[in-house]
Amino acid sequence: MSSIAQPLSMTPWKQGVKDAIPLLGGYIPVAISFGLISVQSGFSVLETILISTFIYAGASQFLFVAMVASGAPLWLVIIMTLLINARHVVYGPNLAPYLTKDARWGPLMHGLTDQIFAIAHTRLPQMPSESRIGWYTGAATLAWLSWIGGTALGAIAGDELMQRWPLINEVLPFALPALFFVLIVPRCNNLQWTVTIAGAAASAMLLKVFGFPNIAIPAAALCGALAFYALKFTGKPGAHS
Amino acid sequence: MSNTIWITLLTIAIGTYLIRLLPYLWMARKLERENTQEGIANMPSWLSILGPTMIAAMFGTSLVPGNPSVTTWFATFVGVMMTYLVWRRTRSMGWPIFSGVAVFGVVVVLLG
Repeated sequence: MSSIAQPLSMTPWKQGVKDAIPLLGGYIPVAISFGLISVQSGFSVLETILISTFIYAGASQFLFVAMVASGAPLWLVIIMTLLINARHVVYGPNLAPYLTKDARWGPLMHGLTDQIFAIAHTRLPQMPSESRIGWYTGAATLAWLSWIGGTALGAIAGDELMQRWPLINEVLPFALPALFFVLIVPRCNNLQWTVTIAGAAASAMLLKVFGFPNIAIPAAALCGALAFYALKFTGKPGAHS
Repeated sequence: MSNTIWITLLTIAIGTYLIRLLPYLWMARKLERENTQEGIANMPSWLSILGPTMIAAMFGTSLVPGNPSVTTWFATFVGVMMTYLVWRRTRSMGWPIFSGVAVFGVVVVLLG
């Protein structure tokens, strides 16, 4: 990942919107599914849209709707949904060195999802510091609005959409692995980082395949970090850049 | 939706927001105290390693197809290969992703 800042070829917020467009392929189909499931679970269209607007965290929204619909104790709903979102604690500190001192970053943290973190972590160091808040605002706003819009679409017409265009749900979500791949592959520039990245990705995939989707990301990230330190302390040849 | 469910929803929303906000504020203040502009060097090393490994983990989980089958796993493999090949040529974001999704879709349609 290059950390050399280069001027943007367009206004920062437009560049942010452009960079976030691949996210739509992953966000909109999942948001449509959420809208559909939420309405089927007994929430109204407006309630469903407000859940996406305020919580704005995919997995925990699905869990919220499922647990409330099944009559689970509400204190347990709060604990479980916040536990799922706990992985977000490492995102802000990782971006902090690139963020200028500006009070607007506070409210903008609402938009710090997994995917926005992944793009921002790669793109922010590559642009001049004065462009960063505009870029982040454009990217995060597009992602947020697409999540809300997709939810509304799913709540209102999700059933019909899924029946008429089933491939939307199957093909477009591939934009997410493609995006993450493009963001992370430049890191693989030496043995240490290549093993770390491959270890984290493989363990996340296995955890999800074997039925642990909610802990897959934090647990696999820790596995990757352990691999990084193991290589560092064993001092394998070629392990350092 | 009853009032208690609304309160639950708002508690989760505020909690999620604080999970995103407070660690950022903590690090921003820490960097400000240490008075560095690009404070990567002052970040705890484990934290700077967790950033890329979180993205790698997101990549890993997103690789699992929504409807796992031999076809969708094969399409995933071909899609990632295409994304990589186009990325090697362009070193950009848009075209590799577009090409990967297109090839993934073609494989799913042809073999599905």
